[in-house]
Amino acid sequence: VKSHDFKTCSQAGFCRRGRALASRAKEASSWTSPYSIDLSTIEVAHDSAKFTAQVKSSLYPDVKFGLDVRLHTDGVVRVRMDEINGLKKRYDEAASWALISEPEVSKSMKWSVGKTEFKAKFGEGQDFEIVVQFNPLKIVLLKGSKEQIVLNGQGLLHMEHFRSKKVEVEGEPKPEGSEGVEDAQTVIQVKPNAWFEGEDEDAYWEETFGSWTDSKPKGPESLSVDISFPNHANIYGIPQHATRLSLPSTTGESPQFEDPYRLYNTDVFEYIASSPMSLYGSIPILHAHSAESTVGIFHSVGSETWIDVSHATDKSTETHWISESGILDVFLMPGPTPADVFAQYSRLTGTPVLPAHWALGYHQCRWNYISSDDVRTVQKRFDEEGMPVDVFWLDIEYSQDHKYFMWEPKNFPDPVDMINDVAATGRHMVVIVDPHLKRVSEYPVYKEASERGVLVKPKSGEGEYEGWCWSGSSSWIDFFNPGAWDWWKSLFKPYQLASGGWSWTQSTEAVHIWNDMNEPSVFNGPEISMPRDNVHHNGWEHRDVHNINGMLFSNLTYQALLERSDPPQRPFVLTRSFFAGSQRFGAMWTGDNLGTWEHMEVGVKMVLANGIAGMSFGGSDVGGFFGNPEPEMLVRWYQVGAMAPFFRAHAHIDTKRREPYLLDQPYKDIVRDILRLRYTMLPVWYTAFRETTVTGLPVLRPHYVMFPEDKNGFDVDDQYYIGSSGLLVKPVTEKGATEASVYLAEDQVYYDYFSHQVYRGSAKGKNITVPAALHQLPLFIRGGSIVSTRERPRRASTLMKRDPFTLRIALDKKGSARGELYVDDGETYSHRNGEFIWRQFFADKGKKELRILSKDLAASRPSDAVDGVALKSFNPANEFAKSISGVRVERIVVLGLGSKPKSVKVEGGQTLEWEYTPGVASNDKKDGAAGVLVIKDPATSIANNWEILVQL
Amino acid sequence: SRDKTIGVAPGLLSKYAPSSGDKWTCLDGSKQISWKAVNDDYCDCKDGSDEPGTSACANSTFYCRNDGHIGSTIPAWQVNDGLCEAACCDGSDELPGVCPNRCKEIGEAYRTKRDAERKLRKTGAKIRSTYIAYAHKEKKRLELVLQSNVQEIALQEKEVERLKDIAERTESISAAALEHKKESPLYQSIIKHSNALKSLQREHKKHLEREKALGDILDALRKGYNPNYQDMAVLEAVRGWEYLAGLPHINDVGKEDSEAEGDGEVKEVTEEPVAEVLEDGMWSEEDLEKNLDPLLNTDYVSLLLEHDEHVQTPASESVLFDLASYIPDSIYPQYEELKDAVISWLEKLGIVKPSPDAAADSSKARQVLTDAENKLNDLKRDQERAKEDMEDIFNPEGFGSEGEWKKLDGMCLEKDTGEYTYEVCLFGEAKQKPNHGGSTFSLGKFKSWNPDQDVPVGSPEFYTKQTYKHGTRCWNGPERNVILELSCGLENAIQSIIELEKCEYQFTVTTPALCLPLDPENGKDAGREEL
Repeated sequence: VKSHDFKTCSQAGFCRRGRALASRAKEASSWTSPYSIDLSTIEVAHDSAKFTAQVKSSLYPDVKFGLDVRLHTDGVVRVRMDEINGLKKRYDEAASWALISEPEVSKSMKWSVGKTEFKAKFGEGQDFEIVVQFNPLKIVLLKGSKEQIVLNGQGLLHMEHFRSKKVEVEGEPKPEGSEGVEDAQTVIQVKPNAWFEGEDEDAYWEETFGSWTDSKPKGPESLSVDISFPNHANIYGIPQHATRLSLPSTTGESPQFEDPYRLYNTDVFEYIASSPMSLYGSIPILHAHSAESTVGIFHSVGSETWIDVSHATDKSTETHWISESGILDVFLMPGPTPADVFAQYSRLTGTPVLPAHWALGYHQCRWNYISSDDVRTVQKRFDEEGMPVDVFWLDIEYSQDHKYFMWEPKNFPDPVDMINDVAATGRHMVVIVDPHLKRVSEYPVYKEASERGVLVKPKSGEGEYEGWCWSGSSSWIDFFNPGAWDWWKSLFKPYQLASGGWSWTQSTEAVHIWNDMNEPSVFNGPEISMPRDNVHHNGWEHRDVHNINGMLFSNLTYQALLERSDPPQRPFVLTRSFFAGSQRFGAMWTGDNLGTWEHMEVGVKMVLANGIAGMSFGGSDVGGFFGNPEPEMLVRWYQVGAMAPFFRAHAHIDTKRREPYLLDQPYKDIVRDILRLRYTMLPVWYTAFRETTVTGLPVLRPHYVMFPEDKNGFDVDDQYYIGSSGLLVKPVTEKGATEASVYLAEDQVYYDYFSHQVYRGSAKGKNITVPAALHQLPLFIRGGSIVSTRERPRRASTLMKRDPFTLRIALDKKGSARGELYVDDGETYSHRNGEFIWRQFFADKGKKELRILSKDLAASRPSDAVDGVALKSFNPANEFAKSISGVRVERIVVLGLGSKPKSVKVEGGQTLEWEYTPGVASNDKKDGAAGVLVIKDPATSIANNWEILVQL
Repeated sequence: SRDKTIGVAPGLLSKYAPSSGDKWTCLDGSKQISWKAVNDDYCDCKDGSDEPGTSACANSTFYCRNDGHIGSTIPAWQVNDGLCEAACCDGSDELPGVCPNRCKEIGEAYRTKRDAERKLRKTGAKIRSTYIAYAHKEKKRLELVLQSNVQEIALQEKEVERLKDIAERTESISAAALEHKKESPLYQSIIKHSNALKSLQREHKKHLEREKALGDILDALRKGYNPNYQDMAVLEAVRGWEYLAGLPHINDVGKEDSEAEGDGEVKEVTEEPVAEVLEDGMWSEEDLEKNLDPLLNTDYVSLLLEHDEHVQTPASESVLFDLASYIPDSIYPQYEELKDAVISWLEKLGIVKPSPDAAADSSKARQVLTDAENKLNDLKRDQERAKEDMEDIFNPEGFGSEGEWKKLDGMCLEKDTGEYTYEVCLFGEAKQKPNHGGSTFSLGKFKSWNPDQDVPVGSPEFYTKQTYKHGTRCWNGPERNVILELSCGLENAIQSIIELEKCEYQFTVTTPALCLPLDPENGKDAGREEL
């Protein structure tokens, strides 16, 4: 990384001011927030749990702020504060981009107004309470009598009001330090507000960084707020940072990092594997967690934000949020479980979109496949080696002079033929489209954007901002401008437009899109991005919307793909930059990582952290973007990638080719097995995705989400569960490893997925050591789970639709197990019309028999079956279910059966063949290989109810 | 249910029959299963042999009969996946009704293609046979060269002996006197000055080269500046160079209407430098460039002698020394010998001082000797080379066991791809030559045939690849390398050039040298071929 390209807190005026405020507060013998509620202005809504009041500041008695506090029906408390009738207007639209809709304010809950505070109780058993104290202003969320979240408890709340810049009188030398004193009468006297705001107008009106000057036309408008969790020692979230999942401290006693966590979307070249530096995406949401409860904070702010984290005690956490501009718009999510917080956040910003099934396959990318023949050759090599792959990617060099959409004619003379050749094997292509447009009139996309006036403007507010990116001199589309929307969507139509406008006729519906560089990355801009005083639609400055910018780009691209086909096919859009709500539009990846073990390791943590913030569909570049990984590293990275929601190999243009078929033995065979493993597990991934699209629970579940009460697991971030499948993964990210240590949080039996070796956990938590030679991926099935797989290797996931299933039943200590399976057509939205199957499998062991059942789950829970709609009913005999009624269960594997059965038969049907391998039982105390029963071809339909009896 | 033998290759058909009791044993003998478990879409055998007709076993294969065309084998994962494989033109790998039988058209197309290939190979093989004939001729020629060379070398060795003798004697006579003269402080100082000047010149040249190389690097950086590095340091370096070299900023080049394609048009932005005022007698830059080399080539020994002459009285011009001009050439050597003997005797007595002619003669003799020695070395080198060529000519790792590649030794093939012309001189060097100015880069020199360890030396596949290595290093990258992919064709020509990864070039080249003669039996057994 070139650290000097990016600001530290001390190089950002508002962050400097925010931290200085915090240190003044800390050093002061007594400290009281200057903000209080003006009692005379309180207005309580008569029909809902909402009140408004004016907030005044003792610093500036003439300045007024409006406070708006609402209780949502699900117990989320929203606190908004903005300056009233200020000289200018603060940006207040961040929530309009992040939220799916205006949240419903509770009608049943009521505020009780006291002399010093407002209070409201809510929740089941009224065990939650929100208290708004008037003077000083403080907002506390309690559960029972315990403080969960405290806003402005430390008195760091500060909304810098708009002010006029003092014009210096010429020829009158001003004494040092007297600048910006508010009242001319008090010149040379001590600044009365200095105890709070500091002596100087530090970077109020202008700021330089490197060779850039930020003109700050609106002057100071930063926002500081402290949010404390007196009873929560662990916090998670506020991605994206390359660090541990449980966020290390940045202030207080011996902090791990010197700078606060920064949220400012940036294109960081060769980023550091352990740092609070900002990266490509920013989601201002965090979880605060303890064994007793989990709460969440979502601050809907789109400007640069720094977050300091400290622990005053080993049971508490304090955070301090410093934003450059925008209004205070904080959502207090009461939990009390991690699952509740996920649901609460999902109701605000939406759940991840259900991906096309093929998007869960393996993606092969490189900067760059250099020609259409190169693409064909790579495809051929995969097929020759029996390595499954679903998607071939094209990076920027497909385009002529980096004019996206425009094929480079010499190397890609036949793009549609090439796409069709890929699609002939049921595969797809993903092609990159970046937001910078080459400023040449013969580029129709630039020309049309320019004519429509939908490009970002320079600080003058006139003309087109011009910066430097891949395409050389470029301009950027302003997606905040609604005038850009329909036009952008029209570009992706693979046919001629009636309007005569340009469209991508040289493409097909098999092409999906990769949106990169959308932070936005500007090579010659400050911090490799846009000047903050650039002007967007409605005159908002870039600083106000910076972190939201990337999301709008992928949002509009998603809509464009959605609209290009009828009936609509599910789009796949990969984005590098993201914000709260980006989960609704597709996948992300952790950007330009390095081919090092450290990056492999931190990539796992980053994907987990992004999942906490809703971006479940993520992964890191397999192999590392930069560098030439040695075979061992590449193999381990394939294991990491195959166990991540988004599985893509990618490589920088300067690296050697490293497609898996180029590996020598034994590495090649190992990677082939990993790829095939991913494909066998696609039913697991898809089922996990269905769940996250409804509940918001992440696809990859860290320990604190799975076992919220197990303190030993709160810091665990190098292993995780896949959805509710019961699969536990411990990726190996260490060179030369031959074994791995795995943490088992519960008194339950775990089975090695491959060897069926039994490991027994403990209620107090237990570390076990497992073999992890290069070909061995530590993957376990938790006792009590039933895992559905499809075990026939294929070239692409789309060719597996008629393949039979294998059910792997891992008996728990009591001899039972259950699991889910969700299947739909994987491509369209017909599932929203009830075209799918959602099954539940059970296994229950009695004294004399083991019963294995398949039951319909959708009919009993239609409203939470699929994303996007709440179905009222479900027809198990829907068209899709009928179309796969011929798809059967070809094999049932029961793990942990201690004795040989007498017979196996389908209830009301035939006797089945089976094989039993003796071994230990799930309820034994013994370790060793599990007893395994393999039932051959019950031939029961995956779509139907059935029951199989194993006589013991 | 489907035929139990579906997907079984003809050679294995006999093994797919039930034993008594309707049992069947996996082909690897590992397990006995019931006959009805064969091709029942469930994998029972470890070797996959019970499911030749389904996709149930990951490791089995499926045989398509492809009646009307050639039978072929596909991997199990292509069976029953809903795709109609070209390799399985009869559609037997999918459920009935999924794939039409396309064997007729595919078979026809295949035969047409095969016939064309055969025709090509046949013609190519004729050309190839001329290459082989060439190699035989070349071998004979080399043998002759070697023979005659041996004689010449012997003669030349004698000549060198003789000249050496003369030179040494000449030198021994004059050396002592010359040594004395050379002790002159003036001479010593001049030599010192000269050496210093030479050293300075050498250093200066080095710096000039370095400066040029740096300039080239910076030019390449400036033009090829890959914003991928997003590296402000790179940008600063570019800007610094542009300022130093008086170039316009590359980002601005072409921005104006006066767009100059390609190389950023150099605008002279620097003012004409004010002419330096030189001290009296000091050399200008131009003088240095023009006159330094001649100055340094001065024969200091001659100068020393001239100097002597200049400061001494001209009396020493004795008749004795002028005699030389009157002596007939035939007896000149004897005369010289005599003269040297006399003079050295006189010198020893201090009667005469050594003559400048003697020293000059000695360096002349040395020169003649050196020339003769060079000629001898050339001859020896020629012989070495001829010997090597002889060894390589029918060497499988050289020009092939039939010598078919000898003809192509040093043949240069070119292809213009627009921006660059690529050239490969076979068994020599590959180059990238820019068509619109700039430097030519070496892409590497011939290193080896097919480096794949699995390919046996001398097999036809061995000759389908050549590697050229250690070309010019890429900026921020590896050395440039080329892999030549060779195939049979009527012409020696580069067909395509691709750079699959940075600075790793792949040339596809056709050559008749790879058109092996058709196996006369090949025509008959086409029916047994597999795709």
